[in-house]
Amino acid sequence: MTSDQEIKFDRSLLGVEHPVGTFPVTREMMLAFSRSTGETSPAYVGDGSGSDKIVAPPTFCNIFASSITRPDIKLEFGDIGLFAGQSIEPRAPVAPGDTLTATTKLKDVYAKTGRSGTMVFAVWQTSFANQKGETVALVEESYVRRNRRAQE
Amino acid sequence: MPNSPLYFEDVEMGDEVGPIERSVTTGQVREFVQVWGARSEPSRFTDPDAAKAEGLPGAIVPGAMSMALMSQIITGWSPSMVLRKLDIVFRQTVPHNAPLKLQGIVTDKGVVDGRPQLECDVFMEDAEGTRLVIGKATVTVPARG
Repeated sequence: MTSDQEIKFDRSLLGVEHPVGTFPVTREMMLAFSRSTGETSPAYVGDGSGSDKIVAPPTFCNIFASSITRPDIKLEFGDIGLFAGQSIEPRAPVAPGDTLTATTKLKDVYAKTGRSGTMVFAVWQTSFANQKGETVALVEESYVRRNRRAQE
Repeated sequence: MPNSPLYFEDVEMGDEVGPIERSVTTGQVREFVQVWGARSEPSRFTDPDAAKAEGLPGAIVPGAMSMALMSQIITGWSPSMVLRKLDIVFRQTVPHNAPLKLQGIVTDKGVVDGRPQLECDVFMEDAEGTRLVIGKATVTVPARG
């Protein structure tokens, strides 16, 4: 059993915002995102009326969240890392021509013990804001580390 | 998607949403990772050999792409539905070129901070009915009048 207090990692990172880049958004990116995921709603791909007005699908910011580099938390636990889960809160529309700025922070590190042994979760929250300073999306990603031996 | 909007009063707890049938092709995954700007291709997402080297049975659909598919349970439901939060757990990897069923069920409805809101359980199943991805969606929807 590992309590949250016993988990060894760089605690100085908890809650500290790190800038992780700016991301220009183009119409082509948005349409490619929709096409590759089979999204056909007119709000995201246009309605064929000649109007160019589209907004990004609600999980669009994930493509940027997936590509960012985060600080190493120096977690001393486990020998397998897995992507455990993700949540997204779309807060405002993203449109072609927007430039998004992202910051990320280590939100939580905690342990859980189940049938396959103890797992340690690290949760990162990434906030995306547009050029007007509006938060357009919050993305939380949860990564788990566990011991291979406990799985066997 | 229904042509006319759905309203809060039209939805009841226990209502099913979908299903949507999908199969994600390798070509779609390649286009997706290009949008994403993945820096290390070929990868487990696009190359079966790279996936097998990591102990996977074959190339897999990226989590961000599964998330986008899951959101379509809501975006494809009605144009009046607004997805406020989608919380997903990846239970198993999602393979390429395999039939997938995406579905939801309304588990709660109420007014939160003055806004009519629905809670839905959402999931993605393979052809055997195994739930590969599960989650919860929070949705706002207009009320009549």
